Amino acid sequence: MSTLTLRQEPPERLDFLHVNPLSLSGLSEAEAARLPIGTSRRGLTLGDVFAISLDGSDSLTIEGGSSRFDSVGASLSGGSIRVVGDVGQRLGAGMASGAVTVTGSAGPYAGSGAKGGTITIEGDAGDHAGGAVYAAKAGLDGATLVIRGSAGDYLGDRMRRGLILVGSAGAHAGSRMIAGTIAALSVGDHPGYGMRRGTILAGGHGALSPSFVETGTHDLVFLRLLARSLRALSPAHADLAAGALKRYSGDLATLGKGELWVTAA
Amino acid sequence: MAAWVKGGAVDVSAAVEAAATLLATAKTPIVTGLSADTSAVRAAYHLAGLIGASVDPAGGDGLYAELGPLSQFGNLNTTPAEAIGRADAVLVVGLRPWDRPIVQEIASSAPVRGRAAGSERTLLSLGGPGNGATRHVAYPADTGGLAVSVAHLRAYVKGNLSGEAAFADLARRLTTAQYGVVLYDAAELGELGVEMLQGLVRDLNDLTRFFALSISDGFQGRAVTQLASWTTGQPPRVGFGRDLPEHDPWRFDSARQVAAGEVDAALWLAAIPAPRPDWLGSLPTIAIVGEGSPEATGDVADIVIAVGVPGETAGGALWNERRAAITYSPPVGQPADLTAAGVLAAIQDRLTQKKGVSC
Repeated sequence: MSTLTLRQEPPERLDFLHVNPLSLSGLSEAEAARLPIGTSRRGLTLGDVFAISLDGSDSLTIEGGSSRFDSVGASLSGGSIRVVGDVGQRLGAGMASGAVTVTGSAGPYAGSGAKGGTITIEGDAGDHAGGAVYAAKAGLDGATLVIRGSAGDYLGDRMRRGLILVGSAGAHAGSRMIAGTIAALSVGDHPGYGMRRGTILAGGHGALSPSFVETGTHDLVFLRLLARSLRALSPAHADLAAGALKRYSGDLATLGKGELWVTAA
Repeated sequence: MAAWVKGGAVDVSAAVEAAATLLATAKTPIVTGLSADTSAVRAAYHLAGLIGASVDPAGGDGLYAELGPLSQFGNLNTTPAEAIGRADAVLVVGLRPWDRPIVQEIASSAPVRGRAAGSERTLLSLGGPGNGATRHVAYPADTGGLAVSVAHLRAYVKGNLSGEAAFADLARRLTTAQYGVVLYDAAELGELGVEMLQGLVRDLNDLTRFFALSISDGFQGRAVTQLASWTTGQPPRVGFGRDLPEHDPWRFDSARQVAAGEVDAALWLAAIPAPRPDWLGSLPTIAIVGEGSPEATGDVADIVIAVGVPGETAGGALWNERRAAITYSPPVGQPADLTAAGVLAAIQDRLTQKKGVSC
């Protein structure tokens, strides 16, 4: 296992787009130390910020995190990255496969555009987790995003495929969803604003948009399959899917083929 | 004309020297405001490129509320002249547009061109004032706010909701218009709301002719967007820390950067008066402000330089709200000695001399 050990809090935001097991596998420690990761005219390199230990394996541990670590695991195409601490924006953005785990919290846009693999945030996530960045066609796009704590607003904004599992989410969870599934123990106000298709499963919720309409309670095979698929990730979410649920259809302002499942009172 | 360094009055060359000294040692500076004529904004981008700064205009959040949907679907927009000349139904969304002269101009005229020529004009309001000097039909917003209200209305326009609700009546008025216009403020409506509103306009165009018209921010944001596009190839919020302009609306949000302690120096350009940033005074700052404005005092920033106000005491190319274009505005009366573009160029020249590089 290769390890990067943080020397001290970086003086600026750092870009980890080109720091992953694959890119480090062919480098000596001296070569890796010269990789540019700074975002200012300081010209910071990997060796300026981290003590580096490489073994050529497909797993990388970053010991010591910071909310200034951007794009950790972005475009990852295999292997695993584990961050002991926090990270900044765009965690695992655009990744194709592999696993990224953060023991602390993540900034905004975690999992944006991620097509495969699993992203796990053991703490909280910022706004737009699984959401689209500016001008991007889609947010989460096939990957699995697990947030054990809470997520900010706009969770899964414009997500297209995949699964987001979260403890609690802020306002506008699932806004502009194209497709995919969000499972949350609770969501804030106006979940699914502008959603076209997709599924939001929520234990509790804030105010609902008037362009969602209740369509009754149902016992569907789909819900049992969903519960089964969630159990390995979170028994609490699986129990939610297996319980009595009420269905809302929306957003009728758009295509209206989305569905919001909430616990039946 | 006046300049100050650390609160003390100095001549302009001393202020320029102090500004160049501050920026020469900065590692993560920001250039903000950009409330100025296009020559000054262009000079600000060039200076930012020289020192590796990031750039953020005063009305950044509102600009991106408009640019986000534009980047996804395109917008169906019209101009003030077309709205005034052709529209037989105008829906004003929110409160902020009512402060602009165009509402009164719309209210006091009737369509004279196109398919609705000769018709009466109906002025409608969603989430605006219930009554006032202007005659209009008012529809209150939902408790969820403007964006939720627009979605609610769109569901009626699409026929996915029906009934005798107020929004059903508003939807009927919109769909039966011959040429409709929706007037809104993107900053008030927010990105989700703007995207929903543009979707509403697209839906209405399946039935009749309908366009959107958003009011500008008053701080030259529209002109900055165009200038940023032709200067950097990107929307306004870019950073030059790695030489080439990188666009990132979240990372280069100046308020966020300052709050996160990521900035070591700032240049605030407000030759046309703009709201003071909350962070002013919390970090070393150069303020280039309009002469005679409340900000033209020595205690606003470490270094303050007062310059001519474009369109008043200086000429300059500015966003023309009425014509929806950048046009030249001559000075009114005797022009000021200093322009913002001139001061920025002087700072850049001095920096270049200090760094011993050519640009």
